[in-house]
Amino acid sequence: MKPDPLPPSMESIRLWSGVECPNEAARLGLADHLGLLKELAALRGTLVFEDEPSSFESALRAEQEKES
Amino acid sequence: MRALHELSMTEAADAVARGEVTATALTEGCLARIAAHDGKVNSVIRLDRDSALEQAAAVDAARKAGKPLGPLGGVPMMHKDMYYRAGKVTTCGSKIRRDFVPKVTATVLEKLDAAGAIDMGTLNMAEFAQNPTGHNAHFGHCHNPWQHGYCTGGSSSGSGAGIAARFFYGALGSDTGGSIRLPATICGVTGIKGTQTRVSRAGVMPLSFSADNVGPLVQTARDAARFMRIISGHDPRDATSAREAVPDYEAALTGDLRGISVAVPQEYFFDGADDVVVKAFDAALEAMRDRGATITRLSCPSLRAIAAYTAMISRAEGAAIHAEWMRERAADYSIHLSSRLYGGYPIPAHLYIEALSRRGPLLRQFCAEAMTGHHIVATPALRTRVPTLAETDIDADAANWSRFMAVSANTRPFNYLGLPTISVPCGFDDRGLPIGLQLAARPFAEARVLAVADAFQRVTDWHKRHPAL
Repeated sequence: MKPDPLPPSMESIRLWSGVECPNEAARLGLADHLGLLKELAALRGTLVFEDEPSSFESALRAEQEKES
Repeated sequence: MRALHELSMTEAADAVARGEVTATALTEGCLARIAAHDGKVNSVIRLDRDSALEQAAAVDAARKAGKPLGPLGGVPMMHKDMYYRAGKVTTCGSKIRRDFVPKVTATVLEKLDAAGAIDMGTLNMAEFAQNPTGHNAHFGHCHNPWQHGYCTGGSSSGSGAGIAARFFYGALGSDTGGSIRLPATICGVTGIKGTQTRVSRAGVMPLSFSADNVGPLVQTARDAARFMRIISGHDPRDATSAREAVPDYEAALTGDLRGISVAVPQEYFFDGADDVVVKAFDAALEAMRDRGATITRLSCPSLRAIAAYTAMISRAEGAAIHAEWMRERAADYSIHLSSRLYGGYPIPAHLYIEALSRRGPLLRQFCAEAMTGHHIVATPALRTRVPTLAETDIDADAANWSRFMAVSANTRPFNYLGLPTISVPCGFDDRGLPIGLQLAARPFAEARVLAVADAFQRVTDWHKRHPAL
């Protein structure tokens, strides 16, 4: 049987953020992360070494409509 | 002249400017409709009745004296309760900020004041702008004016419901994952978020620094064009605001779609879509084709990555913003909000940074896939029929989580991409609830989405319909 990943996640949140799980819905929401983790795992290898956050603003300017 | 509440924002402003109606008459009409009908809609948090009438009287006096009125002179508005006005309580739809009195006024409110708009008060919203449905445990849920018990969409719930109910002529919403476009869609009105950084966020409650947008909910694309021109542009108080020039959006509304190419991505946006929504969307495409547009269905492989990264940024940033209160006052949040915020804490920093770092490259990739040779990307704004408040209520039943999260699936990607995106009504489902068409364009091409939306509204009448209250 695979170990339940939620208790260590909740312990990690408590350790790093000092935030306790507030309710059952939060626990369910955390479980919902497993789907997101799969999607993110599928994206591994796409980040380029030189990529950095500020490239977004330059992309906004660069991708404007060109005069036709 | 038509009944005053049937006028659009621009029609009302122009009627005041021409002396065909007074600002006082418009304001009294709005106040009367709110008094008569908001008991069941619950769109209003604070109504500044006396102040509104004083502002209206000042506009009427100015006109009588021959002074020029602004482009929104005498038009009654109300705004989502997260725009700070110095000295006035701004609740952010929350218990935690129920008594918060800001010391500054939001730049967008100052711009609307300068344009002559009348500020009648503040509107219901999702707690801290953090849900896509319109639930609010502290001020009461906002109800869809088309059918009681159904969602309004969120987080700008009162803005969408109040425009649909014709309680006022324009309202500010905010959009981090669809919070303008969803209530616009679900309430059958028009709502636009501009390019990321297009509108100042100074004096506006933050949710996610990277994805927050300020924008209007109104009746028509023409209303949105005038509204956006007034509030857009660089603001020295918001260093992140763009310096790109703001064109005259209304001048771009030609009604002509000849030469316009509309792309329809075949991935993602139709996953699990209801037939009635797809049918209305296809009919909307046909209406645009009849007006001269060409329609191209295409593949857009970048969407899967965009959808995955979209979720990371606002969750992580929201968790950071609310960390102190989550430690000290978690019980003062509604269940659905504290549960959403909690989900932001386990996201590792490297994945958050990866999501931010991939944003530029994915924007370029999306533009290459969907907008090479195409001016507009069209999608349904909401994949399904409008859900009820009960079936998306996490506070009542945590098992509603997935239905709750699915509401914003089609709007969120455009926040990650930062593209200007509008939602306009394009039909009604079999229960009489609205369906929305979402249109996006390249960065800073607000004029393009507004022009296409306006052309669509010239040959359809969905935006003119309003609920019997």
